[in-house]
Amino acid sequence: MFSFIGRSIIQKTVTLFFVSVISFLIIHLAPGEPSQVDPMNPKFTPEMVERFRQEFHLNEPLYTQYLLFYQDLFTGKIVSWKDNQPVLAKIWERFLNSLPLFIVGTLLTWTLSFPVGIRSAIFRGGIYDRSATFFAYLLISIPGFFFAYVLIIFVVTVFHVPVIGMETFGMGAASWPHLFMDRVWHLLLPSVLGATGGIAVLSRYVRSQMLEVEGQDYVRTARAKGLAPDQVHYKHALRNALLPFVTMFGLILPGLIGGSVIIESIFSWPGMGRMAYEAILARDYPIILTVNFLSAVLVLIGTFVSDLLYLMVDPRIRL
Amino acid sequence: MTVKRLLILIPSFIILFLLQSYLWVPTYEEQTRGNPERLEEYITASLGDATVLNPILSANSASSQIESLVFEGLLDRNEELRFRGRLAESWETSETAFFYVNPEAVVPGHGTLNARETAGLLQETKQTANHPNKALNRSLARVKAITVDRPRTFVAEKQVDAGEKDAARSPVTVRVKAPSRIRLHLDQVDPDLFTHLKSLLGETYFSSFDATGCLTIDPPQDQTTLAELAAELLPATEHNPVLVFHLRPGIQFHDGHPFDAQDVRFTYETLMDPKTLSPRISDYEPVKRVEVIDPLTVRVVYKRLYSPAVGTWGMGILPEHLLNPEALKQEALERGKDPADFSIRQSAFNRHPVGCGPFRFAQWKSDQFISLTRFENYWEGPPHYQKYVMRIIPDLLTQEMEFYAGTLDNYQVQPHQVKRLKNDPRFQSFSGTSFGYSYIGYNMRRPPFNDRRVRLALGMAIDVNEIIRYVLYGQGERITGPFVKQTDFYDHDVSPVPYDPKQALSLLHQAGWTRTPEGWLEKDGKRFEFTLITNSGNEIRKAILAILQEAWKKIGIDVQTDVLEWSVFIQERVDKHDFDALVLGWVMGIEPDLYQIWHSSQTHPYQLNFVGFKNPEADRLIIKIRQTYDHERQVEYCHRLHRIIAHEQPYTFLYVGKWTAILDKRIVIKDVDQDGVELYKKITPTETGNYTYHFNKWVKVPEMPEFTAE
Repeated sequence: MFSFIGRSIIQKTVTLFFVSVISFLIIHLAPGEPSQVDPMNPKFTPEMVERFRQEFHLNEPLYTQYLLFYQDLFTGKIVSWKDNQPVLAKIWERFLNSLPLFIVGTLLTWTLSFPVGIRSAIFRGGIYDRSATFFAYLLISIPGFFFAYVLIIFVVTVFHVPVIGMETFGMGAASWPHLFMDRVWHLLLPSVLGATGGIAVLSRYVRSQMLEVEGQDYVRTARAKGLAPDQVHYKHALRNALLPFVTMFGLILPGLIGGSVIIESIFSWPGMGRMAYEAILARDYPIILTVNFLSAVLVLIGTFVSDLLYLMVDPRIRL
Repeated sequence: MTVKRLLILIPSFIILFLLQSYLWVPTYEEQTRGNPERLEEYITASLGDATVLNPILSANSASSQIESLVFEGLLDRNEELRFRGRLAESWETSETAFFYVNPEAVVPGHGTLNARETAGLLQETKQTANHPNKALNRSLARVKAITVDRPRTFVAEKQVDAGEKDAARSPVTVRVKAPSRIRLHLDQVDPDLFTHLKSLLGETYFSSFDATGCLTIDPPQDQTTLAELAAELLPATEHNPVLVFHLRPGIQFHDGHPFDAQDVRFTYETLMDPKTLSPRISDYEPVKRVEVIDPLTVRVVYKRLYSPAVGTWGMGILPEHLLNPEALKQEALERGKDPADFSIRQSAFNRHPVGCGPFRFAQWKSDQFISLTRFENYWEGPPHYQKYVMRIIPDLLTQEMEFYAGTLDNYQVQPHQVKRLKNDPRFQSFSGTSFGYSYIGYNMRRPPFNDRRVRLALGMAIDVNEIIRYVLYGQGERITGPFVKQTDFYDHDVSPVPYDPKQALSLLHQAGWTRTPEGWLEKDGKRFEFTLITNSGNEIRKAILAILQEAWKKIGIDVQTDVLEWSVFIQERVDKHDFDALVLGWVMGIEPDLYQIWHSSQTHPYQLNFVGFKNPEADRLIIKIRQTYDHERQVEYCHRLHRIIAHEQPYTFLYVGKWTAILDKRIVIKDVDQDGVELYKKITPTETGNYTYHFNKWVKVPEMPEFTAE
């Protein structure tokens, strides 16, 4: 057990190092200059472009730039090129904004998919199953931005309430339950939108897993010995069907830092995804690389956690 | 079965909780009509967030929009785009001109002259004013004083190229023994002064001045370097235009600190400080020095003739007391940073700006909004609005929804919506032409684009009106030259290239192209084919590419098109001149300075004259436009330049876009006349289409008012 944890940490550190090198290379090899260096602006003389490049160490060899970047990152001194704000503080602020979206979206996905999927599996081929399948594929294939527009226009024109942003703009002085509920309301649409795709996919998985398990010998045995159908489905079958989802659960962790560019842009949500996207457009290397590094860390932690969870839920696995 | 119940209860509970929040949210109705404070706010939207709220650092439009309200410059442009005093009440332009006495030169009718004699000759000619060259008499009449600078010696540290192999530059010490020089004070700038003086002092008086003998360089350099250094350190003639600003008394910054001449000098010096890394340095590079004469007078001396100089002083002035080196050092210490590498770029000021503009900064929530409140002590009287808010809404459809709901006061209409929204009785609408144009640029280094007839023929084969009608939904106008269409620099007499495929074909025949039986144009057995490129992410340009390809195919030209990612497009193709033709656009300033885009010295890789336009007459005019301080003459030069470029057709000028904005109908201009009676007027755009010109007088009224007759 401990040797597994030790080995795993060493392996993951090595992987992280390679990820950091490769992501650094990809970003620096891609064409483009930081937006501060604007070669198409008549006011920019070549000397100024040179000065900016020097200031950002863009003239140094790549390995020096790499060392300088990670030195700044680990000492917390790293600042964005765009506005000179500390990168870690910026990311933390955006992370806190994206967090509620992530939590509500994940909760909705994981709580709704199971009852929907299990019911489909139990009444396989019935009207419920067919309509669930139909809606699942509809939700998977509908473009997110289009669905978002339709929902916004519907809610705004029918209910006349604001849905944009993290809170109603210009709320001013209101009591705290109002402020809190206002925020909850603004969470509703973007997180439902974020969750739809997840629910559609995950409920399909649940259904197929359940179907597979329902055909197993032990389920037949449970039925044969006269257990109530609910007992069979929810105790004997469900528990065994859950195993693959443990792995998936570990992998949702990186979503913490990803955010969704499209949803955040449409809803004017000041979240991580938008910041990272704008940083890429502006070639703000410190932000791109830091976000990249942090998400690599989260992916590795996620796989590690799901390994450990697996260990706990499946007694057959010994490491 | 608990598991079953939980699986159903938990999601139901979550959904119910989320849905009930609807009952707590204020409706749009409560936010807009039911909220009296809403009338006191102006809310606008921006697609992107500001980056840095500091006029000497920022580069994006959202930042400038806020800065223009928080900061105030010495001057700005009025309704007719002429300069108008803001922090400066008035200003004067004058000039100091120098030339070195050339002891070897033979002055016609006088022989060689020393400094005193030369000055005496000038003085005498000025007084008698009867020189046969009338222009010289006029130039001399502007001279208010003639003095002689005594010979002096000084030491200069310079960098020179250290040899051909080594690209590095090495330092040298130059000892200069400067001869006497004549100093002329003029009451206005006279770019032709020395040209006219030649008729008195001799054609070669200035050009034959040889300063190489006055220089001792350590370590010694070759003849070329010596001549270069001599020309740099001891130029035969020198113009030093001088701007004197008289500042408006009694102006305060938002924190109550008085504004004075020190702030102006500080802003200039901070901008030029290499640590600041300001993107606006090239505007101020021609400044020799900024002097504070008294708290309300600033004198700016320029190194050379540079007429765009006046306009650069529209930049916001920074408060010296908050940003001087001591203040920065203290800030660094408070925040636990090293004062040695703490510059204005790191200062918290950039997110909490203080200026002397009509609005003071209140709050900035990244990617959400920036809010400003009005400055009660604004020198021109406070604006009518209490608050100004810029919301950051990165999606146009969302902006549109918010505008309809009343939580935004204006909306920038998209071309395809103009027809529908322009005459909507619920809103007032404004439109105008923008300050930029789109064009097709030909790489004039490559045949066949080095032939004017070919470029003209390509232009004639395109129906630009069709592009405007179908791609821009009619929201564009033709343009024929490189100047902003609403300024008088633009020559409206130049007619656009007509759509005439027949004429185009005959021009191509003249240029040696013949049509093969299959319909392709050929010359010397080679088909007329090339690649037309543009950047990705611009749907309009992409559509134009397809239209052009089709139009040129009709007259037998085989065109391939390619859409490239912006940075690849610029770095690999444009900067390296690796293209045949491209579709691109320029955003123009009002200033008619075209040096970077059209001067023949700017045709090297990484420079902006990437089409390789070279025309000696155009070069001369571009320099003259830069050196002339007289508006009428500038206009005359610009018209000539416009005609040359329109004739040469290095670009096929396509169109300038039109914008339309809609505004809440209840926003009007409120004026108070002498008797204190309030007058309401409709917002009317200025001649150049700027509808926000009188923004400080805008109010939003609960009901439509009675308008005062004009």
